[in-house]
Order: sequence, then C-alpha cells, then structure tokens
Amino acid sequence: MGIQEQYRSEAAALLSSGEVKLVIGFGAGSTADRRRPLFARTPDEAQKFVLDAACIANLSTYLVTEGLLSDGKKVAVFLKPDGIRSINILISEAQLKPEQVVILGYAIENGKEITPLEGRNISDFSIGEQIRSLTPPPHILQEAERIEEMSATERFEFWKEHFAKCIKCYACRQVCPMCYCRRCIVDVNQPQWVSTSSHTLGNFEWNLVRAFHLAGRCAACGACDRACPVNIPLRLVNYRMGKEVIDAFDYCAGENSNQKPVLASFKQDDPETFIL
Amino acid sequence: MAKIGVFVCHCGENIASKVDTGILVKSLSDHPGVEICQEYKYFCSDPGQETVKRAIREHNLTGVVVAACSPRMHETTFRKACAEAGLNPYMLELANIREQCSWVHSEKDQATSKAIEITRSLVEKVKRNNELKPISVPVTRRALVIGGGIAGIQAALDIAGAGREVVLVEREPSIGGHMSQLSETFPTLDCSQCILTPRMVEAIQHPKITVMTYSEVEEVDGYIGNFTVKIRTKARYVDMSKCTGCGDCIQKCPVKKISNEFELGLSNRTAIYTPFAQAVPNVPVIDKSRCTYFKNGKCKICEKSCQIDAIDFEQQESVETIEFGAIVVATGFQIQDTSVYGEYGYGKYKDVITGLHFERLASASGPTAGKIQRPSDGKEPETVVFIQCAGSRDPSKGVKYCSKICCMYTAKHAMLYAHKHHGSNSKIFYMDIRAAGKGYDEFTRRAIEEDEADYLRGRVSKVFEENGKLIVRGVDTLLGKPVEVAADMVVLATAMTPQPDAKQFAKRIGIGYDEYGFFNEAHLKLRPVETAKAGIYLCGACQSPKDIPDSVSQASAAAAKVLGLFSREQLEREPVVAAVGESTCAGCWGCVYACPYNAIEQKDIRDRNGNLVKQVASVNPGLCQGCGTCVTFCRSNSIDLAGFTEKQIFAEVMAL
Repeated sequence: MGIQEQYRSEAAALLSSGEVKLVIGFGAGSTADRRRPLFARTPDEAQKFVLDAACIANLSTYLVTEGLLSDGKKVAVFLKPDGIRSINILISEAQLKPEQVVILGYAIENGKEITPLEGRNISDFSIGEQIRSLTPPPHILQEAERIEEMSATERFEFWKEHFAKCIKCYACRQVCPMCYCRRCIVDVNQPQWVSTSSHTLGNFEWNLVRAFHLAGRCAACGACDRACPVNIPLRLVNYRMGKEVIDAFDYCAGENSNQKPVLASFKQDDPETFIL
Repeated sequence: MAKIGVFVCHCGENIASKVDTGILVKSLSDHPGVEICQEYKYFCSDPGQETVKRAIREHNLTGVVVAACSPRMHETTFRKACAEAGLNPYMLELANIREQCSWVHSEKDQATSKAIEITRSLVEKVKRNNELKPISVPVTRRALVIGGGIAGIQAALDIAGAGREVVLVEREPSIGGHMSQLSETFPTLDCSQCILTPRMVEAIQHPKITVMTYSEVEEVDGYIGNFTVKIRTKARYVDMSKCTGCGDCIQKCPVKKISNEFELGLSNRTAIYTPFAQAVPNVPVIDKSRCTYFKNGKCKICEKSCQIDAIDFEQQESVETIEFGAIVVATGFQIQDTSVYGEYGYGKYKDVITGLHFERLASASGPTAGKIQRPSDGKEPETVVFIQCAGSRDPSKGVKYCSKICCMYTAKHAMLYAHKHHGSNSKIFYMDIRAAGKGYDEFTRRAIEEDEADYLRGRVSKVFEENGKLIVRGVDTLLGKPVEVAADMVVLATAMTPQPDAKQFAKRIGIGYDEYGFFNEAHLKLRPVETAKAGIYLCGACQSPKDIPDSVSQASAAAAKVLGLFSREQLEREPVVAAVGESTCAGCWGCVYACPYNAIEQKDIRDRNGNLVKQVASVNPGLCQGCGTCVTFCRSNSIDLAGFTEKQIFAEVMAL
C-alpha cells in the first residue's frame, strides 16, 4: 500500500470512528502540478485525498478559522514540518488547544519522495533541533545573501521596486497561519495608521508592519511568497527578521509549544544595545 | 465644536529669548479650533493662572494648551487651575517649548518654527482628549523595610512610632548592619555599639515591628499602596520561640575554626553561632555548610547541650507572602574588593588591612578587645600608615566617586590609635581632606593638632616588605619629594561599593540603579528618598556612600514619606490606564507577558446561556501604571491608553 492510500485510510478511520469531525488535506488541483485543499467530513470524502510532492501548502492556516474549534471537537490536518512548527507557535499564542489537533505528518524528500512522519499529537514531534539547523532552499539563501551584501541605498531601492508592485490584495495575510487577528491593523481606520491605497508609502507601511508582526513568529513555510500575485519575495523579509531574532535573543519560533512571545517577554540577560 | 485656549509663556527670558512668542501667538490664533491665544511672562505665577482660569470661564473653553515648560514641572499646576475654573483637568496639555525647544536651539527662526509645530501638535491632541476621572485605590497601611542596618532600623522605628505596622527584613542572622562592626564613631567618638544596640532592642521589642532576620525579599508584585511581597526565611535550625540565647550550644560546638565573617577573619567562630555578642535576636544559627551533623550525619552535640530542646535539625526554610502599602529599601553597602590594588599588597601582607579591619581591632568587643595589634604577630605597631582614597576617586579601578566617609574615619583611626598607644606615629597619605559636616572639620583638625596625625598630601605607589617592615613608597606633592615610610601596619581607606547583588535586586523589585549599582532616587535634589517607582523609598548607603548621620536623616525622611502615604485610606491615581477592545482582541496573551506590572488578566466572554464564547485580555485599572507597553505589543491594535489614545497620538503626529 502506497503512502497516499495509507493516509487516506487513516483519515477515513479517524472520521468513521468519530475521533475527528474534519480532516483537512489535499485534493486534485486545476492543473496536474497543483493541489487544492480538501475538507473531508465523511470516510468517503477521505478517499479523494492526494498526497504527493506537490502538496506544499501549509494547511495549518485553516485551523484558525473563526469558530472552527470552538465546539471542542478535534480536527485532523496534513502537515509538513513547517506546518507542525506553525502549530507550535499557534499553541504558544493560545490560538489552538493541542488536544484538538490530530497531525497527519509527512515530509517531502528531495522535492520528490513523500515520507511519513511518526506521531499524531503535537507532543510526539520534537522538531526543535531540526528547525534550528533548517536552512531555506538554496535559491532563497543565495538571494538573501545577495541582498545582505548590498549597500543600504541599494537594498532600499531593491525593496522599493518590489513593494511598488504591491496591489494590497492582502493574499499574504490571508494565507498566513500567523495572521489570525479578527481585525487586522490595516483595517483600523480610526486612526488610519496604514494607508490603504497602493502607493509606495502605503505599500511600505503595510509590508514593514507585517514583517514586524511576524518577527519571531514566522514558521518559514513560504506561503506568503507563493500567494503573492505580483511575486514580491516576501519570505526573504521574514527570513531576515527570523535570523535577527535568533541572533539577538537566541529564540527560534515554533521550537516547542510553550514558548513565550519573544518580543513581549523579558530576560535579565537580554541585549540592551538600544540603551545608551 | 472645539474651543481651545492656547497660552504661550515667556518663562522670563527662558523661552522668549529664543522663541518669537509674537509669531507663535499669531500663528496659533489662526489654527482651526483655537478660540483664544495669549502670551504672558510667567503663566505659572498667580496672575498668569488667573488669566487661564478667566479665559476658560469667559470663552467656555473645551481644552487648554499651555506652551511652556516640561509637564514634569507644571502639569499639576495648570491641571489644578483648569479644575478650579470648572474644566476637567485632563483637558489640559502642556506643549514643552522650553526644555525641548528654546533651551536646545540657538537660531531664533528655527526655534520659533519648532515651537509652532510643537504647540500645534498639542492643540490637535487636546481636541481629542477625553474627560478623565482619577482612580482611587485602597492603601494597605503596613510598611516593608528591607535591610536591618542603622538606616532600616531608624526608618522602621519612625514608621512604627507613628502607629503603623512595619516588617523589617534582614538577610543576616542579626540586625545591626555595618554600624555594629564599628568601634567609635566620628565626630563625637561615642561607642558605636553603645548607641546602636538600644535601637536594635527597641526595634525587636516594638509591638508594631516584626523583625524577620535570616530572610530575603524574593518577589515584589503590585504597586503603590498595594504591594504583594514574597519573603523567604532561611532555616536557622534553632527554634526562635524556645531559645533563650544562653550560648551553651556555641560553647560545646566542636567545629571551632571557621573564619568569623563579622570579625572579617580576624578571629574564628563555631558552626552554630551568633554573629556577635549583642546580636538581635540573640538566637544562634547553624551554618549548614560547616556543621558536622549536616556533613556526615553525626554529632548533634548542640542538641544535647541545649536544655530546652530549641535545636531543630528538621527545620525548613519558609516563604511568607505579605501585603504592604510602601517599601523602604535600606540594603546598605559593601566595601570594595581591595585586592584590585595589587601594589598595596592587600592579601599578600597580613598587616595591610582595610579600615573596617581597623574598626574591629579598635573595638572593645573585637578580637583584640580594643588593642591595636598587628594581625601577623599580635605586636603593637609603632608606625601606622593610612592610605586614603584606596579605591575611591580612582576611575582606573572603577570607582570614580568619593566614598565620603573615609577622610573622617581615617582621622578617627589616627586619633583612636594615638589614644590607645602613646607615642604613636601615624602617617596619612591623602588627596584632599573632605570634612564637610557638623563638627567634621574641627574633628580632623583635632587629629592633626592634638593627636599628631601626620598628613602627607600625595599618592602611594607601592607597599612592600623589607626586614619585617612594610615600606610605603609614595610622594609628598606639597614638598614635591618622594617619600618612603617604614611602617608596622598599613590601613587602606577602602571604597564603599553597592552590595554585590544590588543590580539583580533592583531589577527584582523594579527600581533603577546607576552605573555602579547604587539605587536611583526620583530626583537627586528634590525627591532624594523616593524612587521612580511610586511607593518604594530609599535610605542609607544603598543610594550613595553615606555616614551614619546622613543615613539616619534619610531614613527618617523616607519614614515621613511613608507616613504621608499612610495618612490616607484611599489613594488617588492617574486615570492614564489601558483598556482592551474586547471585540477585536485575538487572545494571544502577548500583552499579558509584556505587562511589567502583571496588570492584564484573561477574561471569559460568555453568551447569555453562560457558554464560553472566547477569552480576551482585560486590564486591571488598579494595577495598570499606564506605561503603554501592551499598546505597542498588540498586533490588532486592540488596546488603547486613556489620555494617550491612538487617535490623540495620530493627530499629534499628523499635525507635524
């Protein structure tokens, strides 16, 4: 039995036994190399699940849908390690209860092979060590290093050019599991801190605010990057912020599920470079 | 419709010399919403305030901006004036065009346009101000005094003397502090123990004072009027309620060769001990790390020798949580680690000692019963060299400040030495003689003129041993010659430094400290005994080096502040507190972690059937100090700070 069949029958079993009310996984997409989220509520529906190397989206984002988990019932979800990392962060931030999430974990080796991950509960996955040593894909890393070497002016121009394309569609926000606020700062209009029109200033405001809001919280799944219709390399921003937080506070988001938010908690030996 | 009154103060020449107030008034008069704009030489004066009040009444003003000094100076003044004229005091803003403008700029044009921007921005803010009412909170009228030295004892006695309860916490087994180690005290030469011990006894016997020795403050929560403090008491292994202080156990203890900390190693103590004979409470403690029983499970000789079964090897440390309204910090000082002066040979030569060692040698209750003897061989020294500023005023060794007491105690040491040893010969190397204080200069003159202390102005470069003598090599800068003195003993006037754990302690209770670790007062001149954290006061050498008279006066001053606070049952607090928008709060609890005052709790939102809908953050206005940390953290902008709302700040920024 292939891995896909194995996971299908596991999902079906979870549903038929009533352990979970819903399984969130992948179904066939509009083209051969695309997958679309599939929400199975019956064992029959579970037979439509697809699991292959094209299943790259971070489905944890659906778990924070308002009201989904308020009945206390469980939901199962297909997750790669970055998705599991998101679950850790969401639990730390009290958006999920660990006992309500059943994880159908898998990894994609070399961009091709699917391997199953052992465990069903978040506590079964000790991904802390892995995350620390995890580096972004080589092409992202190269690009990050290239930007790092630019002068401040060049770097500013680089981002200005990219942000100029932004059409404020907020797809990055919609796809991000960390953007669970019921009302986003950008939707506050009394006062209007972030300008909504898509001119350069407003675009900078939005993208920088989002970068700060994700500092120390990003699971580096790359969903924002993939969702962006105008191809702004958003994960480069988040990668850099994550690096900053690791260097300054030795804090890597999503290592476990009881981290305190790094920018809201204080340690006596935190660096105080900003105090003269 | 807003009717704002703008009042531009000249502050004499302070503002008017750099800001063209005429232009400022003209420019603000045209600003939308400004009903009246006036200038005057001193708005803080009585006629100035009257002008403001009259304008409020005559023009029915809805808001007032006084363009003058920092709100720290006169916000209260003008708030009061507004209230007297019938305007809510929180409808006032102070535009700081002095400290942040006229004082820091030299170009009049630029200063004027900056003053216009500052004032305009505050006009935009005040248009959006809301009427606020002070919050009243109850005051727990019990004080905590941390540190049982002379400062702490004095503060405790003064507070208790006015009828308020006090808990005096001391981490050593006895109260008394450094003063109990001193011999005789300048400038009157009265015996330190003789004047201190009555105070110690008074403190422990006072019905309003609870003395907790061998105890440390572990955690301070809460705010002025309502602190919750965790105090950990170490196990003494002696039942304080039974022990009579007879001392039989100390006599019998077989472990006798432990270096006595109170005597700075000049004598030994046993494993069960009281630090000194007049200890209060006079109840011994067992030094667990040295006791034979705790080491290998056998001995218990003390237990056998105790006739009233007061020894209790099973005793555990205990933690008590007590509510207080005010805290007095009197944690004192340490002396500098003198080994940083390698050239003076401290630690290498036994007869190079610190001033505190000399105190013990000169003390009647000390290891030599008051005889000045060399620690090395017990001989009476013929020549003693005193080196002042052996640590103080020496930036290269990390102490830039003057320790204040050394000039006086060195003169005293020379005097005591002369009194105890006729034909004495004392040489004092000094930088300056600083003897400001009642009877102080007379005292040092007496040392020089009557007791023949030989003062040499200059520094010592080296101390080394030769033929059984300590050769002190230095310079006499008044003669411009190098000098060499063959001494029998060298006494170093070591610097006073903060307690080694002062910085951690300050962080734990939330007060500030300076670069050395001395605790910061709220204002060096005008609020010297208060800290920046309301309800916590300072006294004694934990704030800066001090002698006994200064420590005692500051202790009484701190007590007066505490009693002032305790004179009311309710405390009025600024209504500048945060509030959560419950409909948008995502319940991530970031603000709960971020709040330094533990003022944010989780609150359940339930529907009419009592089912839990969601959990949101909720600010306890009694605990909130209005710092705004939660506001900056909240990603969905669901927290706002009264008096500094997002709308106000935004308008202020946009007006620039």
